[in-house]
Amino acid sequence: MFEQGRISSVNSVSLSINGKSFPSLRMRSAPRFRVSCAAKPETVDKVCQIVKKQLALPADTTVTGESKFAALGADSLDTVEIVMGLEEEFGISVEEESAQTISTVQDAADLIEKLIETKSA
Amino acid sequence: MVSPGQAAPIRPEILGLYRALLRAAREFRDYNVREYTKRRAIDGFRENQNLTDPESISSAYAEGKNQLAIAKRQAVVYSLYAPKVKSIMELENPADLIN
Repeated sequence: MFEQGRISSVNSVSLSINGKSFPSLRMRSAPRFRVSCAAKPETVDKVCQIVKKQLALPADTTVTGESKFAALGADSLDTVEIVMGLEEEFGISVEEESAQTISTVQDAADLIEKLIETKSA
Repeated sequence: MVSPGQAAPIRPEILGLYRALLRAAREFRDYNVREYTKRRAIDGFRENQNLTDPESISSAYAEGKNQLAIAKRQAVVYSLYAPKVKSIMELENPADLIN
């Protein structure tokens, strides 16, 4: 199953170039990549379904992770209702500040996964 | 009634009130009251969503807050007298009623 990966932080190290080689340094200097995975496709799909239902969009409308709620025709009241629907569907509780920052499907899916993770931790 | 000198509520406050009302609706165990509270909140906010002058926005907001307080109180009262039998709308298998 192919999962989307996102590179979130890169530690870059600069080596001095003056002809000398420091073997121990060279081995330690490999940059480390931390890959944070975006939300699972199933979560994104469920979010898309809930958004479509809330906004009463026709079934063949394309809704993806990048879709912005505003672009789909949602106003701020709709967004609140969508977040409430997501809370009920996934059994989570979204606090006020986090809820205000959700503007795309991906935002919602990522937040959901984070909350589920902290809940089961 | 709006006390003089109070600024009109800003968008995040209003959305917070909306969210609080919808959350309060969830507290009811009675299907009918729960659905009504949710529907009334949605209708109420939609009806007033195009208000522009601060005074009517403030009074609508104040009314919303009163309604929220009522809903919270009523949720407690209802829970004291909750019936054991659920509404038929909530049953997963209404056919079970016919045994």
